[in-house]
Formats: sequence, structure tokens, C-alpha cells
Amino acid sequence: MTHQKLLASTAAVAFLALGSAGFAETVVTMNTVQIFGTIDPAKISDYTDYMAAVNLYDGLISVDSSGNLIPELAESWTVSADAKEVTFKIREDAKFTDGSPVEATDVIYSIERLLRINQGPATLFAEVLTPGSVVAVDAKTVKFTLAKTFAPFLATVPAIMILNADVVKPNEGTDDAQEWLATNVAGAGAYSLKSWDRGSEMTITRNPEYYKGFLEGPIDTVHWIITSDEATVKSLAASGELTMTSQFQSPETYKALVDMGRFQMVSQDTGTAFYLKLNTKVAPTDDIHIRRALAHATDYATIREVIFPGGVLSTPLPKAFAAYHNDDIPEPKFDMEAAKAEISQSKYAGAPIPITLGYVAGTGFEEEISLLMQSNLEQLGFVVTQAADPWNRITEIAGKVETTPAVNQIFFGPTYPSPDSMFFTQYHSKSAGTWASMEWVNDPEVDAMIDEARATGDVAEQAKIYKALQAKLHEMQPDVYLLTQTVQHAMDKCLTGFKAVPMQSFDYDFTRYQWTCK
Amino acid sequence: MTDIPLTNAYQNWYRFSRNPTAMIGLVIVVICVLAAILAPYITPFPDHVGAVTNFRARHLPPSAVNWFGTDNVGRDIFTRVIFGLRISLLLAVVVLGIAIPVGTILGMAAGYFGGWTEIVIMRVTDVALAIPPLVMALAVAAVLSPDLLHSMLAIASLWWTWHTRMIYSITRQLRTQEFIEAAETLGASKFHILFREILPNCVSAIAVKTSLDCGFVILVGAALSFLGLGIQPPTPDLGTMVAQGASFLPDYWWESVLPGSAILFLALGFNLLGDGLRDLFDVEDVR
Amino acid sequence: MEFLSFLIKRALWSVLVLVGLSMVIFVIARVVPGDPARMALGPRATPEQVAMMQSELGLDRPIVEQYGLFIQGLTRGDLGKSLLTERPVTDDIRETFAATFELVLCTMLLAMGFGVPLGMIAAYWKDQWPDTAVRFFAIFAAVTPSFFLALLLQILAGYVLHLLPTTGRLPNSMEFEASWTGLLLIDSVIAGRLDVLGEALRHLLLPSIALAAATMGQMARLTRASMIDVSRQDYIEAARAFGIPEWLRVTKYMLRPSFVPPLTIMGLEFASLIGGAFVVEMVFAWPGMAAYGIRTILQKDLNAVMGVVMVSGVFFVLVNLAIDVLVGFVDPRVRIRGRR
Repeated sequence: MTHQKLLASTAAVAFLALGSAGFAETVVTMNTVQIFGTIDPAKISDYTDYMAAVNLYDGLISVDSSGNLIPELAESWTVSADAKEVTFKIREDAKFTDGSPVEATDVIYSIERLLRINQGPATLFAEVLTPGSVVAVDAKTVKFTLAKTFAPFLATVPAIMILNADVVKPNEGTDDAQEWLATNVAGAGAYSLKSWDRGSEMTITRNPEYYKGFLEGPIDTVHWIITSDEATVKSLAASGELTMTSQFQSPETYKALVDMGRFQMVSQDTGTAFYLKLNTKVAPTDDIHIRRALAHATDYATIREVIFPGGVLSTPLPKAFAAYHNDDIPEPKFDMEAAKAEISQSKYAGAPIPITLGYVAGTGFEEEISLLMQSNLEQLGFVVTQAADPWNRITEIAGKVETTPAVNQIFFGPTYPSPDSMFFTQYHSKSAGTWASMEWVNDPEVDAMIDEARATGDVAEQAKIYKALQAKLHEMQPDVYLLTQTVQHAMDKCLTGFKAVPMQSFDYDFTRYQWTCK
Repeated sequence: MTDIPLTNAYQNWYRFSRNPTAMIGLVIVVICVLAAILAPYITPFPDHVGAVTNFRARHLPPSAVNWFGTDNVGRDIFTRVIFGLRISLLLAVVVLGIAIPVGTILGMAAGYFGGWTEIVIMRVTDVALAIPPLVMALAVAAVLSPDLLHSMLAIASLWWTWHTRMIYSITRQLRTQEFIEAAETLGASKFHILFREILPNCVSAIAVKTSLDCGFVILVGAALSFLGLGIQPPTPDLGTMVAQGASFLPDYWWESVLPGSAILFLALGFNLLGDGLRDLFDVEDVR
Repeated sequence: MEFLSFLIKRALWSVLVLVGLSMVIFVIARVVPGDPARMALGPRATPEQVAMMQSELGLDRPIVEQYGLFIQGLTRGDLGKSLLTERPVTDDIRETFAATFELVLCTMLLAMGFGVPLGMIAAYWKDQWPDTAVRFFAIFAAVTPSFFLALLLQILAGYVLHLLPTTGRLPNSMEFEASWTGLLLIDSVIAGRLDVLGEALRHLLLPSIALAAATMGQMARLTRASMIDVSRQDYIEAARAFGIPEWLRVTKYMLRPSFVPPLTIMGLEFASLIGGAFVVEMVFAWPGMAAYGIRTILQKDLNAVMGVVMVSGVFFVLVNLAIDVLVGFVDPRVRIRGRR
């Protein structure tokens, strides 16, 4: 190759870099590892869905990085003494992207549609909200009357995205506008949908007229590229096209990006826990001693320090919920001798013990953890089968006790900023049969404690129940507590504003980000 | 086509051994097969085939201890490559073990009987040719579960057609020859004619094609496991190793480049051997 | 006249193959899975949805009738809905096919454009060093796994030399809608966007080299063999005796007939080329039909996978038809004899 060509190609790269540094507009390109399932506010359920939804729609309230509820469309709210009535006052200047004002009727329409379709966020309000529960006090005030006391109610309100009723109604068709809202947006969000190819990308652009305004150096366009392929991520970064990575890249990729000079690592502790979920209803993990043996046979330090960055997790509840965390339960320890002792007490002692380790296919760190587990377990006389399945297959096998593997690597983070989200979704028998509840705990006592905490308005009382519940669950050992996730992104040094939020993916609300380079 | 009787083994071997490419091919194939069979005895870390992890020794570059370096959990790549040859060779043996007998019998039947037998068999091969074996294996993986056995069966279900086409054209040429007509006049059974008169004349072509095919089947199998449809970990599989190593490019290049080279080496051996046999038997039309 | 009847015969053969192909796919999609309706709808489908799909597919009717319904759907271009994208499979394939087509077209041009001249060089200097070199190239090209070559090219050009882009069809920052043909190389010229054309070519280069290598080697080998074969023919000897200059002899009298076997094989090679596209598209994150196929397979997205298999098969049959016609033009003898 000639010298001239080299110069020409460097010049092209330099030009690109200038382009993304924001001559005209600021573009953030980010890769994400799963597809956006839906943008319909009545159907959004997982982490990736919310990533789009929090930017395209606004709720009455939102959540900050400490888990506090903060105003969004509602400027203030009041809770009655018995915690059964909640009244929201909508901002005077709150308006939808088409310029029309946000009113109480829009809130009522959004919630009733949510309850009719009964998917996604609706599961949070089962038995709590019914048609007619929400009424307009005046044009800018709505009152929620709960069917029963539900302590975490306020914390679940950010999950409700408000629709522009006047725009949606003409498009209702016969299916409550499900088809229309699958590809169209009608809300008050700071961003509009520009393009969306379900398998490969989504682009959203800023609404300059957004009622809350923006910080200095706002992000004009956000472009998500759906890929988990490390080589693609590195190559996008090298060509100057990538602004921030997903939080699931390998340490090697992060290092390669930092070495490029343009990126820095942004790491933060989160309230997301990473477990080995043990199916308590199939052999051999139906035996408490085997479950304890697994907890002893896990090399926590290697996992946290080498394979996947994280902090200590010693109960089912991450330390981020400090007020509710049971600090008396000791940190789990890697101890092969103790594991041996537990096995000898189990009903499976004395013979090779077959066991299946499940994980998400194609995720490098989960395979590494699975191999690490296998090498330790084989020394203890287990006969290990690895079962790597794609994510949607895991959601399917989680539906039945018999198809759920004995051991499963699962991340679970709060879906709303309350400990209830961690306990109800994972351990209550009403939540059985999902990927989040692969332990199949189904224990009446556990159910009763979760219900009791829900019915208690008093925080101190709640904390007491949750601490007892952690002790109870620790006694049953339905999980191996691997770690609390330290979320990591490689980000362009010019981009600031990432702060982990203990609710879904509210930390990707791009009104919170700033481009600091000129 | 001039066929050399296989009984004249010494003469054949003499001619074969004078053909440098064929000899190189044979040496490579013999080395690979022996290495695969003797893997537990000749590899430095035979326990690294399983789930051994040593995170302090991850991503080590090639050295005197780890000839091919180590992978992302600290296992010796050289050991795993040698064991990986087993899966590749197994794949070739199973696929061709099905494809060759089926393909040969159908090819002889189509060529010898003609008529409807010929029409049906040959049209089916036309259809099968329109589906790339890799794509077929992918389709089967989508319906059943993605594992090695299903992939092998899917590939075999198409591979026989190539043998059918080859044997068919040879049989057609033979059918009109005097020795076949003589056998027919003498009242030999159809079975006798197919298996005692025609088959021996196809043997050299089959040998050449088998050798070339081994290389191609190994390549298809490697591509499948590269795409994530191979055997479950921790069993070493060359295609899977390349795919995993690829996410650590370019810093830890050995994790993908060296297993990839092993596939190339193995396929090269079979290809050179096939080429040499083709020269030896002078069967030009086998590809 | 005889050319016309040749064409009709070839077309009829193609239709026959397509019917066979549809049967194979029908068996895989509808007979092999225990409950095709549940598979096609995915794990989250409700029992009502499954029941509706079952009656829609006519799963309670005799197998022959089910096949009839299946064909009816195919002829309407109805391949069902993809689980991954929740859109009709036909739409997905229409959008991704252009990228694959562009890649494959470019690959075939490369394979022919370099393979045939290499073969001529080898034949001309038979048994001398250029011949040996070409032979080595052909063997190595044939035995190098395409995904491996793709990775090597990616390391070399993308990471070591920083010369060429290693993923996608265009830079993400470049806005361009290929709205006429879907082929960037053509649409960018129509739109007068030379910058897009340049970028498209840069992005195309590595994937098409990775995909073309094996076929190129095969072309070179066959052209060589076929040229040597032709050069032994009487009429070439006669031309030599008449003192026709060598360049004219090679280009005019030898090249044309020598072209036939490589061209015919190109048609058959095409199947492995499509197979190769699946891995090459994955490595280069090429937004084509094959990459779509792989993504959907890992999701067990039955409708999408069957659509991709069907379109690959149809693509193969059409290319072979086109090549047969081309061969008929190049070599009149073929029109009478037929080639199979």
C-alpha cells in the first residue's frame, strides 16, 4: 500500500470523528444485545423495551439514581393516610409531542387501556387497580383509589407511560390500537421514533419543544445498533461510529476500546443481582444439602474479579436496598471441604450425581462461569451437562418444573424501586413459571411474608419483615448469590450523565445525558 | 475410462509414492488421524478437554509449554485442537458412511435400469442440489435442536446426491459395454451385474471422491459449529473454537487463528490425497 | 427455433425442481415438527392463537390437502410471520435480499474475472511456474474455510492496516436510502451520490473476496483443464498450421469453447456459494438474508428460516437457468445436446 492511500484513509477517519463531535448535531450510537420487543406502553416488559419507552414516552413520575421518585408529568402528589388514595397534580405546561396539553383524561385512558390489554406493566396492578379506580378531579388532577393497600404502589407508577388519547383513539381499530401503537408513538416523551428495524436498529431524535427542556449539550439523536458480537463492537468503535457500548461486553473488548484513547470506562454499582437459580423441585437440587454444597463450590472471587465485575451479594436482596438489607447473613464463601461435607449429608451421597447447568447461549462470561462451576463440581463427584439456550428458549423452559434445569444463571434487577419487586417476582407463588422464578420456591410462609409487607404502610415494619424473609430464604438456599452487578460501559469521553437507576433501564433516559465537547 | 485393477497393489503404491502432492496429502491425513486416535497420550494436558479452568493462565500467548497458547478460561489450545480433530473426522465418517452406500446404490440403479427409476432418482438429485448442505443443516437445526447429530444427518441427507450423479454417469457408460452384455446373455442376476460387474469399476472413482469429500464435509461441519450449531461445550470442536476466539481478536489472535489453521490443514490433507488418487486412477471427471 | 425449445425445456426443468424444493420444505416445516403451529407462533402464544393457526394451516386435514394449502400460500408470497421481527417474512426477505444479492453478484464477478484469466495463464504456461502457482492457489482457496478467510481478512485489513471497513454495507453515519433497486452500487449512481458508491465498494471488497476465493480457485482449475483440452482439438492444430497468430488463436478460437465447463460448474458451485454467504455475512455483520437466516434460526423462528431456505433454493434455480441460457449462447452445440 502506498503512503498516499494511508493518508487519505486517516483523513477520512478524522473527518468522521469531527462529524460525530457535533458540528451540526450530537449523535449517540450505542449497541444493545437484545432486540426491542415492543414500544407499546401497554406491553413493554423487559429491560430493552423500557430503554426505548423511557425516551419515547413520559410517565407521571420517574426515578432517580438513588431510587427516589421524582416529578415528570406530575409536579406533585399526595397520599392519603391509609395509603389507599393517591392524587397527582399534572404540570400546567405539560404537553404532548403534538403540542396538545396533557390532561387527566389522558392518564385515565392510558391506564384503562393498560388494564384492558392486561400485559406488560398491568401485572403490577392486578387486584390493585380496576376500571374506574382512576378518576379526574379536574382537568389537571387525577386520583387513584386502590382496591387494597399496596405499599409499593407509588414505586410502580413510573412504569405507566401516558398516551395522547386524542391521537390514539382514531386509530383504535378493533384491537385497542395495539397494531397502531406497535409502530407509532403518541406520548409526551423527549424523543421521537425516527426509524426502527426490529432485528437490527432503532433511531430516535430529540423533540426541541419538549416541555421539560434539556440540559446543556443535549443529545440530538440516539442510534441503537443491536449486536452482541464483540468484533462488530470493536470495529464500530475503531471506525469512530460507536459512542457507548452495551453493559454486556467482555473485559477484553472494554480494554481494547479504552486503548483506542477515545473511550473511558464508566462503572457503577447497581441493585441488579446475579444468581444461580436452583430448581428446588428437581433432582439433585431438591435436596437442601446439594443446594448448600453448590453455594460452597462457587468461586465467588474469581467470578467477581476476573469474569464479570461485581460486588458481594450475601442475601437475595442487593445491598443497594440498604434499609431493608439483612446484614446478619454472612457473605458466601468458596470452600470445597464444606461442600464435600454437605454432599455427604445429602440423599445423593455416595454415587455420581448428574446435574444440568443452564445459561444463555452466546454470552461469553456465562459460559466461562458455567465451565468454572463444572470444573469444581466434577471434583465433588457431579456429572455435569451444560445446557446453553437462547434467551427466548429459556423463557419457554422456565414455564414448567420438569423443563427447568437444576442450575440457571439469571440476572434480576428491580423492575420498580422497591424490595417488593425483588421478592414478589422471584419468590411468590403467584409469579411461578417465569424466568425470574426458576427456583420454584412455592412456599406458603414466604408468600405470606411478601403479602404482609405489601399490606404494611410503615417502612420500619416492612424492613423487619423483609429482613426476616431474607433469613428464611437464606435458610432454604434456593439461589447461589453470585454477585451484584457493577454496570460497565465504555463511553466516549465527551458523553456524561450515566447514573444507574434501580428501575428497569431508566438509566438510559437520554435527557439525563450531556455532550461536553464543543 | 481406464481402470487399474486394485489387486495390483504394489504397482499402484509405486506410482502413488512418486506423486509428491499425493504423498504430502497422505502424510497429513495419516498424521491427523493418528493424532486424533492417540490424542489422550500425545497431548500435554489431556484433562483440558473437559471443564478445566485456570483463570490465572487465561489468554497466554503461544510458548514452549502451551504451543498454541491458552484460551479464555486458561486451557491449552494445542490439546483442544488435537481433540477437536476427533469431532471433525467423526463428522466426515458418519456423513460419508451414509452418503456413499446410498449414493452408489441409487446411482447404479438409475444408470442401469433407466426408465422411471432413472427419472425419479435423477430428478430428486436435481432438487437436492438446489439446497446448500449448510442451509439444510440450519433448517433442520431450527426445527429440531441444534446439535451435532442432527447436523450430520441433515448434511448426509443431501450429500448422497453427488455420489449418485457420479456413479450414474459411470454406469451409463458401462451399461452398453460388452462384458455387461455378455453377463446379461449368460443370465446373470441383476444383483450380480450391479454389485459384481458394475461396482468394481466404480471403486477408483469412489475412492477419489471420498477423499475429496472428506475435506469438504469437514469444512461444512466447521462452518456449522462456527455459527453456533455444533457440539455443546466443553467438548472441543474446531469451528466453535474459532468462533469463540474471534471475539478476542486481534489481541489474542492465536485463539482463533490456530484452530482455524488446523481445519485448513486437515482439509488440505484430504484434498491433496484426492488429487493424487485422481492422477493415479486417471478419473478426470471426478471433482 | 431449436434455441427456443431448449429454453422451454430448461424452464420446465426449473419448475420441476421448484416443486420438489417446495415438497422438501413442506416436510421440514410441517411434518417434522410435532406441532408446527406452536413452533411457528413461538413460546408466548396463547392456546387460542395456536388453535387459530392450526385451523389456518389445516393441520386436521389430509396431508395432501395441507400441501395444497401450503403451495397456495407460497404462490401468494405468504411465508407467514417472523417471530423475531413480527413482520411478514416476505417483507423481511425483500429488504435483506438486496444486500445478499449485491454481495453474491460481486463475488461471482470476482470469481470469474480473476479465476478465468488465472486459468488461462496456467494453461498457457502449462507445467511451468505460473501453472504451479495457480494450482497451489486453487488448492488453498478450496480448503480454506470461508469464515476463517473472512476473519483473517478482517484482522489484516481492519486491524493491522486500518485500510478497509470490516462491518456492514455503509458507515452508520451515512444516510442513504437505496430505494430503486436496493443495490447500493446502482442506486448511488442513480442518485448521483459518488461518496455512497465509494463507501459501498469499500465495504463490499472484503466480504466478496472471502466468499469468492474458493470459487475463484475452482474456476481457475477448470479453465486450465478445459483450455488444455481444447488446445488438443484438431481445429486448433489446423489454425496453428495455417499460421494464425497466437494471440488470435488463444482469444478467439480457444477461449470461447473453453468457457463452457467453468460456466456450467459455476452454476453448481452457486449452492456452496450461498452456503458460504451465511458465514461471511455473520463475520462482516452484513445486513443480508443469510445473516437474517442465522439470527432467526437461533431464535427457532420457523417461518423465517423456511422462507430463507426457499428463497435460497429459488435463487439457485434461477441462476442456473440464466447460466444455461448463457452457455447456450456461448456454445451452440449445447442447445442441441442438452447439458445433463
